[in-house]
Amino acid sequence: MTSNTRTFLVPVANSVTLRDTVSYAIETAGDAAETGEATVHFVVVASGRAIDPDGPDELAADRELLERVEAWAQEDRSEADGIAVETDIVGLDRYLFSPGEYAETLIEYATAHGVDRIVLDPEYDPGGSAPMLRPLQADLARSEIEIEEAPVERQTRRTVLARAETLRKAAVVFGASLLFYLLLGSLSLFDVLTGAVTAGIVAVLLAPVAFSEQPAFGRLARQTLRVALYAPFLLWEIAKANVEVAYVVLHPSLPIDPKMVRLRAAVWGDTPVTTLANSITLTPGTLTVDVAKRSFTIHSLTQSARDDLFDGVLERAVRFVFYGRAAARIASPAERDDGEVIDD
Amino acid sequence: MDPMGWLAVGLAVVGAFFGLVAAVGLVRLPDVYTRTHAASKSDTLAAVLSLAGAAIAIQSELATIKAVLLLVFIFLTNPTAAHAIARAADDQGIEPWTTDDTEVTDSADDS
Repeated sequence: MTSNTRTFLVPVANSVTLRDTVSYAIETAGDAAETGEATVHFVVVASGRAIDPDGPDELAADRELLERVEAWAQEDRSEADGIAVETDIVGLDRYLFSPGEYAETLIEYATAHGVDRIVLDPEYDPGGSAPMLRPLQADLARSEIEIEEAPVERQTRRTVLARAETLRKAAVVFGASLLFYLLLGSLSLFDVLTGAVTAGIVAVLLAPVAFSEQPAFGRLARQTLRVALYAPFLLWEIAKANVEVAYVVLHPSLPIDPKMVRLRAAVWGDTPVTTLANSITLTPGTLTVDVAKRSFTIHSLTQSARDDLFDGVLERAVRFVFYGRAAARIASPAERDDGEVIDD
Repeated sequence: MDPMGWLAVGLAVVGAFFGLVAAVGLVRLPDVYTRTHAASKSDTLAAVLSLAGAAIAIQSELATIKAVLLLVFIFLTNPTAAHAIARAADDQGIEPWTTDDTEVTDSADDS
């Protein structure tokens, strides 16, 4: 890497200031290109949403965004020459949830491509649910790479009081809260009125953080239906495994063989991972100790509990709940060789 | 007593049995991780069965719905608590008990 080549990295996600950030990045690169060459990398961080890279195209939106960004970059570039533009999607192979992990992924990419400076969109917010720009900046700042927030004109936030999607989120939260309130109370006028007020407050306060993605009623209904199928199955698994543990605990010689195991589970996303972790803990004989991305550290009480775990019945059921029947057919952890006993 | 009454009693008795298993396990098992198994899982089933029995015994639709909601919350909170305990133990660097620990400590032949 020679000193007169400047490489920029711009993490992109849908935002109101994305267009201006692209212009700014190209402009800055243009200044740098006067004394040498400049490359601008536009990168989308896919937060492990893709269930199957070859399957139904969940990355279509990301690719479309990158195409748009590239077109914008071409527009701006025509004046200044000597700028190369590259686009990429990173983070496909892992499950990212914290700003620290986004930063790690970006820094990894930056290091691999010799990036000198990261240009951040001031409205960059790929997580969707919670604001992540500040913590991301703090985490990025730990690396050697120069960080810069694009000085673009920001619109006053919340100019539109309520957008359709915000309203829809609020409606879902409001409905669920009101239903819960009325279940605990009664259908009297007093309860309906106080319930509506309470649910209103809950919806206003919590709707912005209640969803990690847009609630779609069709998918929500299908998932609820599949959860309803999953609950009795889980109950049965719990009952079965409890009998086994009762036998082990009450047996005079206490035939236990506890071991820590690691499982790389084939589930993606916050809610599915949490559901699987909780289901594993609920099933006697296995206890989730730690989860890092998709890697579960599990304490298992007996050999048969381990065998059940690696047969992946629960894992398959969780995939069925969140991704439908097709996803249930993925091979079990034992077949994928994704489970192992940890020896110290 | 009608059949539903007997069902309620049966559920409560089986629930109590698993509660007892949890208590016995808590005393007999060797370390924090294995004890968490007993305290969280058998306990969950015990609570679930007892609540199901209660829901049947009360025989009021609203109370039944409330009992089911309680079940849901127990399902959500119990494993979370167990996980918190196990994770805290792991963070403190507590080594899990293994079958080797009963004999002379020799971790080399662990498969």
